[in-house]
Amino acid sequence: MRGARLALAAAVVVAAAALPFVAGPFWMGLVTQMIVFGLLALSVDLLLGHAGLFSICHGSFFAVAAYTTAILHVRHGAPTLLAAPAGLLAGTLLGLVFGLAVRTRGVYFILITIAFGYVVWGVAHRWSSFTGGDNGVTNVPFPAVAGMRVESHTEYYYLALGVAALCALGYRVLIRSPFGLALRGIKGSESRMRTLGFDSNRHLYAAFVLSAALASLAGVLYVYYNRFVNPVAASFPVSVEAALMAIVGGSGTIVGPFIGSAIILGLRNWVSSFFELYAAIMGIVFIAAVLWVPEGLVGLAARVRGRAARA
Amino acid sequence: MLTFPRRLLALLLLAVVAGVAGAQAQGEPIKIGFLIPLTGPLATPGQDMRDGFGLFWEQANHQIAGRKVQVITADTTCNPDQALTQARRVVHQEKVHFMVGPLCGHEGPAVAQVSKETGVPLLMDTAGADTVTKWDRTPTVVRTAVSASQIGHPWGDYMYKELGLRNVTFIGQDYTWGHEVTLGAVRTFTELGGKVAKIIWNPIGTRDYGPTIAAIPADTDGVSAVVVGVDRVRLFEAWFNFGMDKKKKIYGSYWMHQDALPQMDDRAVGLIGNSLHYATGLDTPENRAFTEAFARKYKRLPSWFAESAYTTGLWTKTAVEAIGGKVEDRAAFLKAVRSAKIKAPRGPLRLDEYDNPVQNVYVSKIQKIKHPVLGEVLTNVPVKTYPAVSQFWTWKPEEFLKRGPYQR
Amino acid sequence: MTTSAILQAINGTSLAALLFLVASGFTVTFGLMRVVNMAYGAYYLLGGYVGLSIMQATGSFALAVVGGGAAVTVFGYLVDRFLIQHIGQNHLAQVLLTVGIAFVVGDVALKIWGGDSLKVPVPVSLRGAMELPGGMIYPTFRFLLIFFGAAIAGTLWLLYTRTQIGAVVRAGVDDREQVSATGINVDRLFVMVSALASFLAGMAGVVGGAFLTLYPGAEWEILIVALVVVIVGGLGSLGGAMIGALVVGLLDAYGRWLLPEFSYFVLFGPMAVLLLFRPQGIAGREA
Repeated sequence: MRGARLALAAAVVVAAAALPFVAGPFWMGLVTQMIVFGLLALSVDLLLGHAGLFSICHGSFFAVAAYTTAILHVRHGAPTLLAAPAGLLAGTLLGLVFGLAVRTRGVYFILITIAFGYVVWGVAHRWSSFTGGDNGVTNVPFPAVAGMRVESHTEYYYLALGVAALCALGYRVLIRSPFGLALRGIKGSESRMRTLGFDSNRHLYAAFVLSAALASLAGVLYVYYNRFVNPVAASFPVSVEAALMAIVGGSGTIVGPFIGSAIILGLRNWVSSFFELYAAIMGIVFIAAVLWVPEGLVGLAARVRGRAARA
Repeated sequence: MLTFPRRLLALLLLAVVAGVAGAQAQGEPIKIGFLIPLTGPLATPGQDMRDGFGLFWEQANHQIAGRKVQVITADTTCNPDQALTQARRVVHQEKVHFMVGPLCGHEGPAVAQVSKETGVPLLMDTAGADTVTKWDRTPTVVRTAVSASQIGHPWGDYMYKELGLRNVTFIGQDYTWGHEVTLGAVRTFTELGGKVAKIIWNPIGTRDYGPTIAAIPADTDGVSAVVVGVDRVRLFEAWFNFGMDKKKKIYGSYWMHQDALPQMDDRAVGLIGNSLHYATGLDTPENRAFTEAFARKYKRLPSWFAESAYTTGLWTKTAVEAIGGKVEDRAAFLKAVRSAKIKAPRGPLRLDEYDNPVQNVYVSKIQKIKHPVLGEVLTNVPVKTYPAVSQFWTWKPEEFLKRGPYQR
Repeated sequence: MTTSAILQAINGTSLAALLFLVASGFTVTFGLMRVVNMAYGAYYLLGGYVGLSIMQATGSFALAVVGGGAAVTVFGYLVDRFLIQHIGQNHLAQVLLTVGIAFVVGDVALKIWGGDSLKVPVPVSLRGAMELPGGMIYPTFRFLLIFFGAAIAGTLWLLYTRTQIGAVVRAGVDDREQVSATGINVDRLFVMVSALASFLAGMAGVVGGAFLTLYPGAEWEILIVALVVVIVGGLGSLGGAMIGALVVGLLDAYGRWLLPEFSYFVLFGPMAVLLLFRPQGIAGREA
């Protein structure tokens, strides 16, 4: 079993590295998108899969980071070394504010994050003198650090891949740490954790801010890939889809969100090229996922493997 | 050792193959990436564009200069994100020779960006953000429709000189297109000496025009409306429902387009519907032919979205024919597009040095006409024509550019 | 100035009447069954479109209103029975499932009724405007909507507080297990309440479609505002939904009149603040 897992992992790594040599710019762009949104889904899953909180406002951090980086580049000519960290910081700061939502639980938490998400979207939309409104911010340059600049989509793909891999590793460390354990304990039974002396609010707040930071990083990666950002990045569907990606792929795992992202984005691109009702298809995917594959693809695979092993 | 007849045969075969290969290369279809919203809230204007474009290619027998034309339609859903993805898809995967579209103003800069990245020419239709042909130009992007403030400027003139208004309330849609059309009119109106009573901005999709109506100042002598999409019908209803038709006069700067008229009724008759570069009821041979063909095929009258797409088809055909069908030569293609003079249904067109059409602007009134195919319909009939209006109105381009874009 | 203020108050109140219709169903469904149904906006839209078609076919507004409500009742029942019931109390799953349903309904509606904004024709007798004291002109239909909303609210209130069924529902909102233990068929109760809620949402679609129009995206716009109503008023509280609807309706009207560029803030700001310090809303129970 171990060997098969390693072989699979190795195959994925090789495929990922070799992609630009076999696929055209369109596919590379699509896979880059899958990586970026996979990271966003991962950030949502930190709260969902490990802390039991369903947040539908992560598009806000994503968008705020993207806008900050974009505006600094396009309007103030800032270098990457300033713009990228600034974006990350801006989104994280917003996370510090929105994190107050952890004072509520359950459906109230969900609803308050929806509201927060709409506020950010509304600001992006209406404060057109600053955000450009619907027009958004265009022609964001590729990142460049210390004389090295990304020149092509291929190079950017590798950059995104590398950043995502590092994040995944860091994430792994985080969720296996005592902090991660505490989060899952809170998800399992908050009252019990409290009686054990854990300050659940403080843990959840920290988790929220961390997930906002990760979402912000995804936002920065996004804006360098897309070279464009507009209020759609902060919209409700983006946040909901991020959660869906985590679930479809396998909530609570590390690869799950990325797999989910690949499935959702792949499906959307494929279906929309021949079928007009693709939003309905997405809706059906939501429904099917919730009803039949709530543990996501990763969980499903584990289930199948388990059955195969027993057979 | 090949005998003589076999050598001859080989040569002949070679010649045939070479000839066929050459002809193939020449006869490969011209691929056009057509980026429009097929789904989403602007699906209906998108449909109009599709029908207008489709009508043109049907009339042209789907070919230019002996080459077949293949239109690859991609759904942008009026979302710049989607527009970007679809633009990249048609360029990289479908390998289109050039792109036409997108519809929504805010999609414009996004698709222009793809054109800049890839060098694939873009004929922007109908997205109207001013900046694309002024401050933020791309060498491979050309506009065949209209620049937002281009239709606003004459309107300010009309309000002051023809309607005699002096203290106008402006209702504007709160996004780039709405800002630019409204503020363009405000500019020309105030430069002539008019006063702005108030400007009321409404976000796209404002549910309720009650508060807007209630906010109209009592001392204003006229209301000018710039509304898009759903809001066109809502404002119309609200105006009459609140009894405003008995108290004040309202005029459409950008309001009652052909595609919205079926949702309105006879109360619209006699109102000024638009100040626009197209009016369905325009009485020229080109427009009559166009509207006839459109009505016969689609059982409705064309809006400006349909005409715009049709004319873009005409424009590309003219340009490609001028270069003998060699659309692969992007520089030559763009040059031909830029130097073409078109006789469109909406009137004579040519591009200025900033890649925007110089064209007539028509102030039109809603009338009920008896159409040979469709029976009694409401439509826009021009009452005044401003000929050959440029995107810079009567100012020098440098002057205009220095001022910067119209902003709230 | 004051005529404008009064006019805006009427605007806000008529919107409140509509919001109440949508929000009341959502809040009671949650209070009693702990189901978060994000498809309520889609129910509104579906009911509106069906009502529109009925109106076009028969010319009867009353029939359209009832028909729209009935159509959604049936649809809502099917959704409840075959989808929602399978996922139990999991709020996350409920949200995702019902969002999915909303996507499907929205897209199918787009296919059937098109992307144009459509208006449900107002019955001829209710068209035009009426003169209010003080010389103000106001659309008849919208003004009557206030009374319609109040009548529905009153009826619901009576049902809720003065009838036996209402008492059982209230008890169920308070403590479901207890009610079940007393032998009352809780499932049947849920079906009835859910059906009523769906009916209200569908009806709201027809009525709302007459002055706000129906178009793709309307389902999300109405849902988000209804959510604000429910949150402000308190999840599970019928009285809260009434108060919340009034508050939100008036905030919306005055906000858009006085501070148009901040209209989103005016609506969501107070709600967010309220949620942080009193998550159960004005009249809700402790979370």
